[in-house]
Amino acid sequence: MEFAWLIPVISFAAAPLAWLAGQRVRGRPFLAGAPAIIAITVGFVLFWVALFGFLNVAPDTSGCRVPEETGSLTCEYQRTWFQAGLPQLGNSVTLDWGVLIDPLSLVMVGLVTFVALIVQVYSLGYMRDEPRIGWYYAVHAFFAGAMLTLVLADNFLLLYVAWELVGISSYLLIGFWHERPAAREAAKKAFIVTRIGDVGMLVGILLLWRETGSFSMSEAFAQARLGSITGGAEGMGEGVALAAALLLFLGAMGKSAQFPFHVWLPDAMEGPTPVSALIHAATMVVAGVYLVARAFPIFEAYDGDALLVVAAVGLATSLLAATIALVSVDLKRILAYSTVSHLGLMMLSLGAFGYTAAVFHLLAHGFAKALLFLSAGNVLHQTELQDVRQMGGLAKVMPLTALLFSVGALSLGGVPVLAGFWSKDEILAALAAGRHPIFLALGLVAALLSALYMARALFVTFFGDLKRENRRVHEAPWVMTGPILLLAVLAVGFGFVSFNWPGEFKGFGTFVFFGHGEGFHFNWGLGIASALLAILGFAFAWLVYLKGVVSAERVRNSFGVLFTAAENKFYFDEAYQWVIDRVVLTVSGFLALFDRAVVNDLGVNGPANSVRRLGVMLRLHVTGHLYSYALAMTLGTIGVALFWWLRST
Amino acid sequence: MTSFDQGVLFLVIVAPLLGAALTMFLPKDRPADAWYFATGVATICLALSLYIFIRYDYGEGGYQMARTFPWLDAPLNIAFSLGVDGIGAPLVLLNGIVLMGATLVSQTIRQRSRDFFVLLQALGAGVFGVFVVRDLFFLFFFYELAVLPMYLLIGVWGSSTDFGSFLRTKEYGAMKLFMYLVAGSVLVWIGILALYIKAAEAGVPTFSLEALGDLALQGHFSEEFQTWVFPLFMVGFGVLAGLWPFHTWSPDGHVAAPTGVSMLHAGVLMKLGAYGIIRVGMVLLPEGAENWMPVLISLGTVNVLYGAVAAISQTDLKYVIGYSSVSHMGYVLMGIATLDPIGLGGAVLQMFSHGIMTALMFLVVGAVYDRTHVRDVSVLNGLFGRMGVASFCFAVAGLASLGLPGLSGFIAEFMIFTGAFRTYLPLAVLAVAGAAITAVYILRLLAKTFLGEKDPKWEGLTDSSPVEKGVGLAFVLILVVVGVWPQPMMRVINVGVASLPGV
Repeated sequence: MEFAWLIPVISFAAAPLAWLAGQRVRGRPFLAGAPAIIAITVGFVLFWVALFGFLNVAPDTSGCRVPEETGSLTCEYQRTWFQAGLPQLGNSVTLDWGVLIDPLSLVMVGLVTFVALIVQVYSLGYMRDEPRIGWYYAVHAFFAGAMLTLVLADNFLLLYVAWELVGISSYLLIGFWHERPAAREAAKKAFIVTRIGDVGMLVGILLLWRETGSFSMSEAFAQARLGSITGGAEGMGEGVALAAALLLFLGAMGKSAQFPFHVWLPDAMEGPTPVSALIHAATMVVAGVYLVARAFPIFEAYDGDALLVVAAVGLATSLLAATIALVSVDLKRILAYSTVSHLGLMMLSLGAFGYTAAVFHLLAHGFAKALLFLSAGNVLHQTELQDVRQMGGLAKVMPLTALLFSVGALSLGGVPVLAGFWSKDEILAALAAGRHPIFLALGLVAALLSALYMARALFVTFFGDLKRENRRVHEAPWVMTGPILLLAVLAVGFGFVSFNWPGEFKGFGTFVFFGHGEGFHFNWGLGIASALLAILGFAFAWLVYLKGVVSAERVRNSFGVLFTAAENKFYFDEAYQWVIDRVVLTVSGFLALFDRAVVNDLGVNGPANSVRRLGVMLRLHVTGHLYSYALAMTLGTIGVALFWWLRST
Repeated sequence: MTSFDQGVLFLVIVAPLLGAALTMFLPKDRPADAWYFATGVATICLALSLYIFIRYDYGEGGYQMARTFPWLDAPLNIAFSLGVDGIGAPLVLLNGIVLMGATLVSQTIRQRSRDFFVLLQALGAGVFGVFVVRDLFFLFFFYELAVLPMYLLIGVWGSSTDFGSFLRTKEYGAMKLFMYLVAGSVLVWIGILALYIKAAEAGVPTFSLEALGDLALQGHFSEEFQTWVFPLFMVGFGVLAGLWPFHTWSPDGHVAAPTGVSMLHAGVLMKLGAYGIIRVGMVLLPEGAENWMPVLISLGTVNVLYGAVAAISQTDLKYVIGYSSVSHMGYVLMGIATLDPIGLGGAVLQMFSHGIMTALMFLVVGAVYDRTHVRDVSVLNGLFGRMGVASFCFAVAGLASLGLPGLSGFIAEFMIFTGAFRTYLPLAVLAVAGAAITAVYILRLLAKTFLGEKDPKWEGLTDSSPVEKGVGLAFVLILVVVGVWPQPMMRVINVGVASLPGV
């Protein structure tokens, strides 16, 4: 499986090719897309080869072992990247390009290669008339390479490298239409907000290095476990483990748009819709969840105090974003807030020790949300509208897209027996088992809200009366609907991989797990409750938005202030803008003035001017009059004579 | 070692000096001739510096390609001795590259271009000299040789700018730069004399860096002496490295300087200061260095944050980059102050990487200014549509400076953080935060100035000339290569810093 390093490298290599191809292919998007699509297809095929290789690997294969910290088979392969300091003199650090293959990284590779492939094919249609399509595909391929490096990295530093590279790809793609001021601002905002989290993450990584002497993940995990078992007598101390976990979590919060760093993700919708589907729904934004899952041995060490923070932040994010999604009127932003909310749920699950549930939901959400975004992309592409109030009844003119969107909405809304139902149920079960009942109660609220806003988006966009101006809208071309069909299949059926099928496969929980594998078991009570909530949500939305039985106006009024606050996104953007204008720019302006007025004019020019003034004053004694010189000479001579005479006596 | 190896360091100093001397005889009224000739000389220098870097045997380490020409015998014992080590070699290469780039883009200098290139080559020779001599006297000599031409280059070929509330004339910029650097030299010179006298007291009157280093290791310089003398070097050389609060000459100098001179100023001249602190301060006064490092690393952290925060609200492109240089040189000073092989290696790599990226930024700003006669961030906009290649180059340099992995800045900064993390944790955390502030001003600049819709205001604005494009893209390539594959650079630097005392 050592060949796994090829998976990201092929996509990296395709990036410059795509750019070059794009220079030559005006009007033939297929040529520009070909390098990236071929590369990611090869990556997808290699994923399957690696998966089957991994399933059949003997535990004594070189490079493979079952570490105690995670309990699952792990294979690592490294190559030296560079060395700082001389190893023979001690005190040096070696950086590796290494791949780590375990169930977690494999499912992530599967998700990334699959969704990226779908989205890149879809883009052939969506971005067909775009003159900069070569650049578009180049950044896409670069992103795929970086994202695959991120999930395969076997050391924290390489992970950080990939982390930043997906960040810059995201920046470039959000700002793809940089002529639009909003896109420019959104790109900048996304990069800077995540960068603030990354400061914490890099500090955390360096802290782990300081503690363990290497950037290796397995080394850090082993130390954390050792410390945890021996109560800090050996290995990593409690304070360090907690600090490192929380600092890493800061990075995860930035990338996965957790409260209070969630503000960048909705704005990131300024990018092309396929980008939103791939980067800002299915892959890059889940990197934070992946990081927490990957570093779980550190989070979980010493009774997992850090996980309480993770759970709290996840829950807050989930509820906050769900309420905004409920009142937003921009189709893509509804989906974006829904993404934030579901990322919060994943974090919440991790925070409740629900490792398998979180990863499972990550995948199920990834398929469903990519499906939703791409269907929404069809709508945007065909109608050139973003505001749901101008839509309605689109199912009549775009039946296939409507069907696909419904599948995604129902799956994410948690309607049985679609994939989202099973994964959300797993999370609720984990909450019931791992945390205080209040977490479960609020988790159920989030589930209800999720059904509500998905139903609202679905009904308002596709059902009801078709607006006159939308009558001429057509269904999207096959190159755009075809790939989404595949996603729809997974959004429906992916949940079934969690079952205990007859034969060797005992369910998702026996493949991706932390500590020990667990077959699928269904919590009937929770399952029925969540199914009822989902159906309730859809039914209520049906009554409000389609039947008009309950007036939307009345619902709005009964929530009053809360509604207005949610509509204004709880004033986070205003608050941050205030901080930037009033604090950051003021401080910076003051410092710049200080540098010029105090350090330069007073400190530098001041002494220089004093010297000049002294010179001006001293100049006065050069009068040019012979008599004053004669006087000075006489006085001087007398003075010297006096001095000499006084000394000699 | 071939006989060419023995002479290559001599050649690399003499080639630009001879070039400068010959340039004087070129006809006065044909500016292009001077440029062609200077380009030829710079090409030779680049080839020689590349040879030196590649030829340096990192397995062996120490001073290589050494050669000693006796000059003044006892009692002064000054020898023109040459040699390059793992710290000098990358910096020689840096100077070769930046000198080449600066010479090429100075194609636009039309007024008294012959004199311009004479001074530019003399400056280049001085910088090469500092990096390859093993004698304190000649180190100082070349140091001065590198500094003096700056005065004329800015004072004659620079530009004055009226910022409304204040005025920055080229004379002011040149004068301030010169006074500052000479004041620094005075401190350094006092320190050198103190070392010489102390060595003479120990019975070995010498200016040889190695002999003095041996004396230091044998304990001939008392800790008290070292603690008194080290700050002379720290501040004296530090001025040139932009050490806070002695940094204001640098942004003002940039604002006044022509493009090629700005490139050399930020690209290599500021590195001389940092190099001096390592080569003279740390090697000859290890105990003094150890006692003063908490001060140096604190000032370095101030540099990082102060420069970055001040850069956010600058409105002149050159001021933004000037303050960003102050900030980035802070990383170099921090790396030096860690006294740790990883941190010091990072400092040396940061010198190289910052040299390239800043030179690249000044190149683009120069190209923009030549065409628009504007450097005001609030006036410039949407340049990407008009000057695609130039904007691309600026974006890459900007991303390198905010520490994006895959570009050389990240490797260097990461090593400095790593080194500082073990010794000065709180300051290291602040330095990491400084990288986020860098992102703020770089991205603000990109969004305001370069990205955005084509503005009819800039109708007819042409992209950079083929020469500027070539230099810019070559620099981009260097940033990428070092960022992706730093090992060839690192193995030389590792050997260099490993031999420093107290590391």
